[in-house]
Amino acid sequence: MSTIDLNVSPLGRVEGDLDVRVTIDDGVVSSAWTTAGMFRGFEMILKGKDPQAGLIVTPRICGICGGSHLYKSAYALDTAWQTHVPQNATLIRNLAQITETLQSIPRYFYALFAIDLTNKKYAKSKLYDEAVRRFAPYVGESYQTGVVLSQKPVEVYAMFGGQWPHSSFMVPGGVMSAPTLAEVTRSIAILENWNRAWLEGQWLGCSNERWLENKTWDDVLAWVDENESQHNSDCGFFIRYCLDVGLDSFGQGVGNFIATGTYFEPSMYENPDIDGRNAALINRSGVYANGEFSEFDHMRVAEDTAHSFYEGSGLLHPWEGQTNPIDPEAGKKDGKYSWAKSPRYDVPGQGYMPLETGPLARRMAAGAPGAGAHQDDDPLFIDIMDKIGPSVMVRQLARMHEGPKYYQWARKWLDDIDLQESFYTKPIEHTSGKGFGSTEAARGSLSDWIVIEDGKIENYQVVTPTAWNIGPRDGEGTLGPIEDALVGAPIEDTSDPVELGLVARSFDSCLVCTVHAYDGKTGKQLSKFVVNGMV
Amino acid sequence: MSGQHTPPSVEEARRLALDDALSTHPRGQVVVVGCGNILRGDDAVGPTLIRHLWQQGVPDTVTLVDGGTAGMDVAFKMRGARSVILIDAAATGVDAGTIFRVPGEEVEQLPPLQGLHSHQFRWDHALAFAHWLLGDEYPENITVYLIEAGHTTPGADLSKAVEEAMHQVGSMVRNDWETLVGSEP
Repeated sequence: MSTIDLNVSPLGRVEGDLDVRVTIDDGVVSSAWTTAGMFRGFEMILKGKDPQAGLIVTPRICGICGGSHLYKSAYALDTAWQTHVPQNATLIRNLAQITETLQSIPRYFYALFAIDLTNKKYAKSKLYDEAVRRFAPYVGESYQTGVVLSQKPVEVYAMFGGQWPHSSFMVPGGVMSAPTLAEVTRSIAILENWNRAWLEGQWLGCSNERWLENKTWDDVLAWVDENESQHNSDCGFFIRYCLDVGLDSFGQGVGNFIATGTYFEPSMYENPDIDGRNAALINRSGVYANGEFSEFDHMRVAEDTAHSFYEGSGLLHPWEGQTNPIDPEAGKKDGKYSWAKSPRYDVPGQGYMPLETGPLARRMAAGAPGAGAHQDDDPLFIDIMDKIGPSVMVRQLARMHEGPKYYQWARKWLDDIDLQESFYTKPIEHTSGKGFGSTEAARGSLSDWIVIEDGKIENYQVVTPTAWNIGPRDGEGTLGPIEDALVGAPIEDTSDPVELGLVARSFDSCLVCTVHAYDGKTGKQLSKFVVNGMV
Repeated sequence: MSGQHTPPSVEEARRLALDDALSTHPRGQVVVVGCGNILRGDDAVGPTLIRHLWQQGVPDTVTLVDGGTAGMDVAFKMRGARSVILIDAAATGVDAGTIFRVPGEEVEQLPPLQGLHSHQFRWDHALAFAHWLLGDEYPENITVYLIEAGHTTPGADLSKAVEEAMHQVGSMVRNDWETLVGSEP
C-alpha cells in the first residue's frame, strides 16, 4: 500500500434529517407535514439482548442528550428489577441529568436559536443592530461567550460519569462512580464560575434569586425595566426584541402539554417503582389539556403508526409496542410519510390527543395545584399563558427560565452528597419483569419501556421528545404538535421564510430540519432551507 | 447591586472556558483524535485506531481522544495541546484503504465558519471551529490522516483493506509523536 499526498474532499457525517413541508396561502402557512427521513430501529437492536444493553445502546441515540437517555434507561431497569438505589446515587444521577440540561440551555440558545434573530427580515427593528452585535454567529459578543462557556456544566458530568457524552455509568442499583471531596469541590468551582460569568453575568444581569422572584408576566416586564443591568442583559434584550418584532404572536402549537418529570427526592425513591414515581419527582410530571390538569399515568401513553412507515395502524402502549418497518415507497401509497411514530396520550374524559413536550410543558406541570414540599411549585408560566398565551417567545422563555432554577438545585445536590455513604446496591437480576423509566431531557419527556423475559429483552420501546413534537398525523388525521404550530405562521418573504425556522427551532427538536415551502394554490415550491444549520 | 452582575468580555469567557485548573483533561503535549461513526463500517476507522493505540499504551505526554461523531466537542478536547494528530475516514473514490496524509498548507486552509453544520462536521470543520474557539491556544502542529473507506454499511466491521491501513497509520502516528515528544513515558 502506498502513501500519497493529495487534496481530498472528506467524508461528511450521515444523519437522519427531518423534512418539514408546508403550504402557504396568502402569506400564511395553511398546512404542514413533518417527515423524519431516516429509520432509527434501536428497538430492534435491543430485542433479545441482555436486559442491561439499553444502558449502552440508548445513550448513542443522541449526541446531545446521551446522559438523559442513560438516566431513563437506568430507571427502566430499576423499576423492572425492583432495585435499591442509595440516596447518593440518586443525587449523582440528578446532577448528571441537570448538568447536561444546563449545557444545552446556552448552547441551544446562541448556536441554534438566536441566529435567526439576526435575519435581515428584522432589519427595520430599531433593536436590529444590537441583535446582530450580540447574536451573529461566531462574531456576536454574546454568541462567543455563550458558546465557549456552554461546555462547563458537562465537565461536572464527566467528573462523576467518567466522560460526556455517551457515558454508561448509571446502572441498576446506583452509579459506577466513587467521587472524592476533590471532585465535589472542583464541580462546585466550575458551576459557580459558570454561573457568575454566563448565567448571572451575561444572561440575567441580576442574581438568580432576583429572577426567580418573578411570579407573573407583569413581574417579568417590570424586571426588564428595573435597572440598566437587567434591561441590557441578554434576557432583558431578548424579551424586548421579541415584543418588538412579534415573536410573541405566532407558533402557538396545540396548547396541550405533557411532562413526565425528572429529578428524584433521594429519600423518597430508594426503591424505585412506577406507582411511587410521580410523588418522588422534584421537577413534576403532569398533563395539561384544554384547561385541565391531570396526573401523568404512563399507561395512558400509546403510539400510533397510521402515518408512519411501520406495520399496523392502531394505538399501542409501548409495552406492547411494535417497531416493524415497511418499505416507505409502499407506505406512501397508504398515506404514510414519516419514520417517526405519533405518540398520543389518553387524557381522562377527553381521549387520545397529541401533546407538546419540552420546557413549556414542564413549566405548566410546575404550576399545577398540589405540589409536595420537595417539589417545584412555580406559578410564573401559568400566568404568562393566561395573559399572552403560547408563542415562539414563551416557549423560549420557559427554556431559559430553567437555568436559574436548575443551577440552584445542582448546587444544593453537590452539598448533599455524603462521601461516607454508598453509591450502589447490587441488585437481584430478575429473569422477567416490566419496567418504565423516564426523564426530562432539555427538549422534553424521554421514556423507555422494557419487557424482560427469560433473562433477555423481549420488548424495548423508546419514546423521545422529538417524537412527541415532530410526530406525523395520527389515525384521526390530527396534526402533530410542530405541524400544528406551523399552521398560521405569517410568512413575509417566501424565498426566506425565517418564521418557519423560528417555530421549528423553538421546539428544539434534535433532528436536522429541512423546510420546504410550497404555494398552497399552485403547488409550486417556493423555497427550501435547513433549520439547524449551525453547531 | 446591579454592578455585580456584568457580562464577561469575550477574552475573559474564553480564558474561563479553557481554564485548565477547571478542566477535566490533563494538559497533554500531543492530542490524537480519531473521528467517525463506529456504527457505519469503515467510517469507524478513526475511533477504532484510538482503541488500538490505547491498548498498546501511550506515553504520558500523549492524550488519546475518541472523537466519534461529537462534532464541535472535539475542538474543546484540543485545548492545551501543542500538536494535534487527527484521523478520519474519507470518500474520494480511490481504492479502499488508501492513506492520505493531508499536506500542511492544506490543513491551514480552513473552511469558513459561516454555514457550518453540526451534523455534517468534518475534520476540517473541527479544526476551523477549534481555531475560532482556542484563539492563541490553537495547536502549533496539526497532522491529518485520512483513510479511504470501502463501505459504510451500518453495523459492519472494518473492511480488510481499511483494517490494514489502520495499523499502518497507527505506526505512522507513533512515529509522529515520538518525533514530537520522544518515546519515553
